[in-house]
Amino acid sequence: MSDNAESPTETQKDDPSIQHAAIEHTGASDEKKKIDVLLKAVGDAPIMKTKKWSVERGRTVQSLAQFISRFLKLEPSEQLFIYVNQSFAPSPDQEVGVLFECFGSDGKLVLHYCKSQAWG
Amino acid sequence: MADDKDVLRDVWFGRIPACFTLSPEETTEREAEPYYLLLPRVSYLTLVTDKVKKHFLRVMKAEDVEEMWFEYEGTPLKWHYPIGVLFDLHASNTALPWNVSVHFKNFPEHDLLHCPSNSVIEAHFMSCIKEADALKHKSQVINDMQKKDHKQLWMGLQNDKFDQFWAMNRKLMEYPINEGGFRYIPFRIYQTMSDRPFIQKLFRPVSPEGHALTLGDLLKELFPAAICVEDEPKRFQVMIHGIEPLLETPIQWLSEHLSHPDNFLHISIIPAPSD
Repeated sequence: MSDNAESPTETQKDDPSIQHAAIEHTGASDEKKKIDVLLKAVGDAPIMKTKKWSVERGRTVQSLAQFISRFLKLEPSEQLFIYVNQSFAPSPDQEVGVLFECFGSDGKLVLHYCKSQAWG
Repeated sequence: MADDKDVLRDVWFGRIPACFTLSPEETTEREAEPYYLLLPRVSYLTLVTDKVKKHFLRVMKAEDVEEMWFEYEGTPLKWHYPIGVLFDLHASNTALPWNVSVHFKNFPEHDLLHCPSNSVIEAHFMSCIKEADALKHKSQVINDMQKKDHKQLWMGLQNDKFDQFWAMNRKLMEYPINEGGFRYIPFRIYQTMSDRPFIQKLFRPVSPEGHALTLGDLLKELFPAAICVEDEPKRFQVMIHGIEPLLETPIQWLSEHLSHPDNFLHISIIPAPSD
């Protein structure tokens, strides 16, 4: 399924497929291996200090959710829900690159995250 | 002459005869007989296999039983893909019944999602419908529906009730009169030998000049290898619900009539048989 195996101890530093987004860069989005993701908190979810991230297209929603959970230092028991367009929760194995192609705007994919179900 | 509505029924009631055999890796108290079942193409494995589970649990010890999962010729079957898609992709050119292996241990975490209850299937199904409507109508139609309407879509699928389902689903198949169709077509193109799960991109059903675009137009843009060139043998079959629609078929019509209940047009591209 996913190309990279996930190690639970992986930190932000060790994770080259998710990096702080650089300043807006030009170029055809098809050629870029990474896409820009903007993370927005919903409800009582903690707000990420860094909201904009550069993520490899092949990264799954699940691995992004795990990254956010670790970054926010959530308890293992705390769930994280990710939403696109404030309307649907993508499947955990969905690739962020596909979501960006279909639901990205202004060169980025906006994802809302929360600790409880927001949009059902 | 078949009515378009007949197509909706044919799609809904499509079935695949399957034979479920317990994997030889499983430990049993006595020999397990295979279990035969007609699977609805438009449903999901974990939703329709309670009887399979009951059948095999009879010959197993409770301590040897974890979450049930399915595999075909070594490939774990993703329960969150519609059954018909799994069959077309992996077994469409093999003899029936579809021989599926049943497992109760060594759950392949990297290949499959867990499915602890029907509410997980419901959540997945509804998310797909919402994603499809985001593409078709900017989510306007699904958002205008009430929670009980959403529930009706799920109950229709779960209980195999065509009329109950389509009483609601027809609203998701409408579009403004002045438009030629949906804003974008919800579709996914699957292949067995691929590094990515599927291809999904924005695709309008009508060209800027106002022409209705076809299945062939979609493939030309996203999978040109599937369009066979004159004099060359056909390399791929383009399969939807077990058939190969003509490439001239308007994509808007396909979306309205051959989508799955999740409102996505699932297209399997498989190698053409070599005989």
